[in-house]
Amino acid sequence: MRLVGAVFVLWAAATLTFFGLRLIPGDPAQAILGGPGSQASAEALAQVRAEYGLDQPIGVQYVAQLGRLATGDLGTSYSLKSPVADIIGSQIGGTLLLAALALLVAWVIALGLAVWSTRGGRVAAAVGSTLEIVAAAVPHFWLATVLVLIFSTALRWFPAVSTAGPEGLVLPVLTLALPLAGFLGQVMRESVLNALEAPFTLSARARGESETGVRWRHVLRHGALPGVALSGWAFGWLISGAVVVETVFARPGLGRTLLNAVQLRDVPLVVGVVLVVALGYVLMTLATDAATRLVDPRARFS
Amino acid sequence: MPLRRHSGPPRPAILRSLAALGAAALLLAGCAAGPAATTATPASGGTLTYATGFGEPTCLDPHVGGNMPQALVGTNFVESLFSQDADGTIVPWLATSGTPSADGLSWDIALRDDVTFTDGTPFDAAAVKANVEHMQDPATASSTAILALGKVTEVQVVDPTTARFVLSEPDSALLESLAQTWLAMESPTALQRTQEENCESPVGTGPFVVSSWTKQDNITLVRNDDYNSPPAGSAHEGPAYLDEIVWRFIPDSATRFAALQSGQVDVIDEMQPDNVVAAESSDQLDVLTGALPGASIRLELNAGYAPFDDEKVRKAFIASADVNPGIESLFFGTVDRSYSVLSSGTPFGASYPDDFAIDPDRANQLLDEAGWTGRDADGYRTKDGQRLTVDFPISTNQSIPAEQSLFEQIQATTKEVGFDVELHPLDLSSWYAALGAWDFGVTSAIYTKNSPDVLRILYHSSNIIPAPSGYHPNNAHVSIPELDADLTEAGQTTDADQREALYADAQKILSDGAYVLPLYDHLQKIGYGPRVQGLSLLPTLQIPTFYDAWVQQ
Repeated sequence: MRLVGAVFVLWAAATLTFFGLRLIPGDPAQAILGGPGSQASAEALAQVRAEYGLDQPIGVQYVAQLGRLATGDLGTSYSLKSPVADIIGSQIGGTLLLAALALLVAWVIALGLAVWSTRGGRVAAAVGSTLEIVAAAVPHFWLATVLVLIFSTALRWFPAVSTAGPEGLVLPVLTLALPLAGFLGQVMRESVLNALEAPFTLSARARGESETGVRWRHVLRHGALPGVALSGWAFGWLISGAVVVETVFARPGLGRTLLNAVQLRDVPLVVGVVLVVALGYVLMTLATDAATRLVDPRARFS
Repeated sequence: MPLRRHSGPPRPAILRSLAALGAAALLLAGCAAGPAATTATPASGGTLTYATGFGEPTCLDPHVGGNMPQALVGTNFVESLFSQDADGTIVPWLATSGTPSADGLSWDIALRDDVTFTDGTPFDAAAVKANVEHMQDPATASSTAILALGKVTEVQVVDPTTARFVLSEPDSALLESLAQTWLAMESPTALQRTQEENCESPVGTGPFVVSSWTKQDNITLVRNDDYNSPPAGSAHEGPAYLDEIVWRFIPDSATRFAALQSGQVDVIDEMQPDNVVAAESSDQLDVLTGALPGASIRLELNAGYAPFDDEKVRKAFIASADVNPGIESLFFGTVDRSYSVLSSGTPFGASYPDDFAIDPDRANQLLDEAGWTGRDADGYRTKDGQRLTVDFPISTNQSIPAEQSLFEQIQATTKEVGFDVELHPLDLSSWYAALGAWDFGVTSAIYTKNSPDVLRILYHSSNIIPAPSGYHPNNAHVSIPELDADLTEAGQTTDADQREALYADAQKILSDGAYVLPLYDHLQKIGYGPRVQGLSLLPTLQIPTFYDAWVQQ
C-alpha cells in the first residue's frame, strides 16, 4: 500500500513538473541557445528543436518522457548536455550534507531553547518565544546576506563562498538551521509545557526523580514528538531553502542545479531533480513514522 | 587594409602597467623595511581566483551558442584573428593583415606562420577554413558567430598563411566580426571530436589551457608554457605570468563582493553601482570599467503595434520619461546619461540630446492630438474606452536592481501625463517569449557587438520578422526605406568618411522618429583585490585579459 502511494507521489511530481514547465512562457530551444549578449537564428533554433524533440506535440513529449522515466532513464540535460543521473549524482552529496547538518543544528538549538525557556520563568519564556518567532519569520536570502556581512566582511571568521573545508559550511548551515529551529522550537515548547503539567510528570516527581531527570527522561520525550513528525516536512523545506542558500553562498548542489534548470527550461533535469527530492521526501516520511514509534510507545500499538 | 604590428600610440594596457610599476616602485621606496613580497617587476607563478556573476557557460566552445559567459572565460584559451585597440582600430593577432579585393567581395587574410594550437596542431589557413565551416554548420548550433558570418559564403586556402574569405556582398564589419571571441580559432583536430567533448575542453592557441571543469563550481585554467601569440598592444611577450586561474561562479552580487573584500577571490565582474563606489573609496580594492561596444542601454518603443505605432505617442512618452534624476541617484555617479543609440565604446556614435528634452506640457499636447483625450478614475489617459497601457517586460537576468528602479522612475514620470506603464519582471526564457510574440510596448535589450554595424542588426526592416524562430533583433519594429538604404550601404563601404556620414544620418532618422530612448552605456565593471597587478580589458569586447596579469606572492 505504501509502495503504491509512493509511486503515485513520484508520478504526480513528474507530471506536474513537466506540464508546469511547459505551460509557463519560454522556449527551451531559445534558452538552450540564449543568454545575455547572444541572439539565436531561426536555423539554429530549428536544429535544436529537432535535436531535442521539442517540435513534437506536447502529449507525445510527455509520453516519451514518462516512458523513459519508467525504465529508470532520467534522460539527458538540455543545458549541461550530460546524463541527468550523473549530474544529480555529482550534486546530491553536498545538498544532503547541508540539509542533514542544518536539521541536526536546528534540533539542538530548538531543544536547548525549549528546555531553557520552559525552566527559566516568565522572562525566559518570553525571550524564547520571541526568538523562535523571529527566527521562523526570517527569509533565507536576508539571513544569508546578514550572516555574510557580519561573519565574512566584518569579522572575517568564515568565508563568504563555499570552500572545500568545513569552515565553508558554517554560514550555509546556520542560514538553513536558524529559521527551522524557530519552527521546531515553537511546537516543542508548546508540548514541553503540556508535558510538564501532565499526570506522568507529577508521578515521576512524586517518585523523587530530579528535575533534570524528569525533563530529559519524560518531558522531552513527549516534547520531541511533534518535532520528529515535523522533520519529514522539514526535509522538503530544507531542500527549497537549499535553492536560495546554494545560490547565495555559491555552493554546488541540487538546489542550485534546480534553479538553473528551471531558468533554462531544462525539462529533463528539473523533472529528475524533483523526482529525487520527492523520493527523499517519501523516504523521510517513512523514517519519521518509524522514529515516532520508537519515541512514542503508544504509536506501536495503533 | 594592410596592418602593421605595434602601430599607433602606446596602448592603455601598457600605460596602466607602467603606472602600476611606478606605484609599486614608489611603495617599495617609501617603506624600505616593507614586506619582501612586494615586487616591482611582474613575477611568474601563483593562482588567481576569478568570480563571475554572468553565469556558467553550458559549453566552453564559444562557437556553440555564443554569449558573454563564454566570451569571458574563452578569452583565456582561444584567440581571434584580429584584436582592436582602444579607438576601435583593428590590430593584428593570429592574422597579420586583411586586404579586401577591389570589388569588396573577397578578403585575403594573412596569417602568422609560427603559431600552434595547444594540442600540437599547426595554425594555418586550413585551420581557419575548418573553423568557419564549424561555425556555419547548423549542427554546431551557433547563434552569434553564424550571424556575424552571414555574408561569408566560403573560405579558400590560397596557401598555408593566406585564407581568402569569399563574400556574397561587401562587408565593412568583417574584421571587427573576426575579432570577437565567439569567432575565435580552435584546433581543427579537436573540432573533430564530439560536441560534448569539445564543449568540455576546447583547444585553442591562448595563454591558458582548460585543465578541468567541475560543473557549478569552477573551471581551472593552467598556463600554456609554449604560448607565443599575444595580441598587438600587450605589455609582454612569451607565456603568461600566472600558473593557474580558478574561474568560479558566484551568482549573488553581494556574496561576490564580500568574497572580494575578504580576499577569498581576487577579481569579480558584474559589480553593482554601490559596490563600485565602496571599492573606489577603499585602499584595498580597485575597479576597471569599460563601455561595452554595441548598442547603449536603451528603451525600444515597439512602433509596430498600438499605442506606439503613433509617432506622437512615442514622442509624448520620450518627452515625459525623466531619466536623468534616476541615473544620478540610483547609480551613485557610476554611469553617465547617454543620448546615443550606440555605446561610447563604438565608433560613429551620434548624440542628439535635444530630441530627449523633458517637457510634460508638450507630452500632454501630443497625447491630446493623438486622440488620447479621456481620463479614467486612476488618472490614466484613455481613447475609445481603452486605457493608454504600455507593457514593459524586463529581463531580470539582464537588468540589474538599480536599472529596474530606474524603470520604476520612468513609470512614475510618464504616469503624470497619463501613461500606464506596466512593469513585468521575467526570467530570460519568458522574456524572450514576450519579445518574440511582440507582446510589449517598450523593452530594454542588451546587444553587444564591436561594430557600428549593430545598427543594421537592430534597426534594418529585414530584422523584424524571421517568423519561425520568433527572433527579431529589431524590437522597435522600425521599417523605413531610407534607413534601410543607409544601413546597408554603410555595412558595405570601407570608406571611413562615408560610413560616418551614413551612420550619422541613420541615427538622426531614429532620433527624429522617437523609436529609441537611450539611457546609459552598458559598462563592464571589474573589481580586483590588492594582490592583482597588470590586469586590463581587451578593448574588442571589454573582456578582462589575464595574459599580462600577475599576483604578488
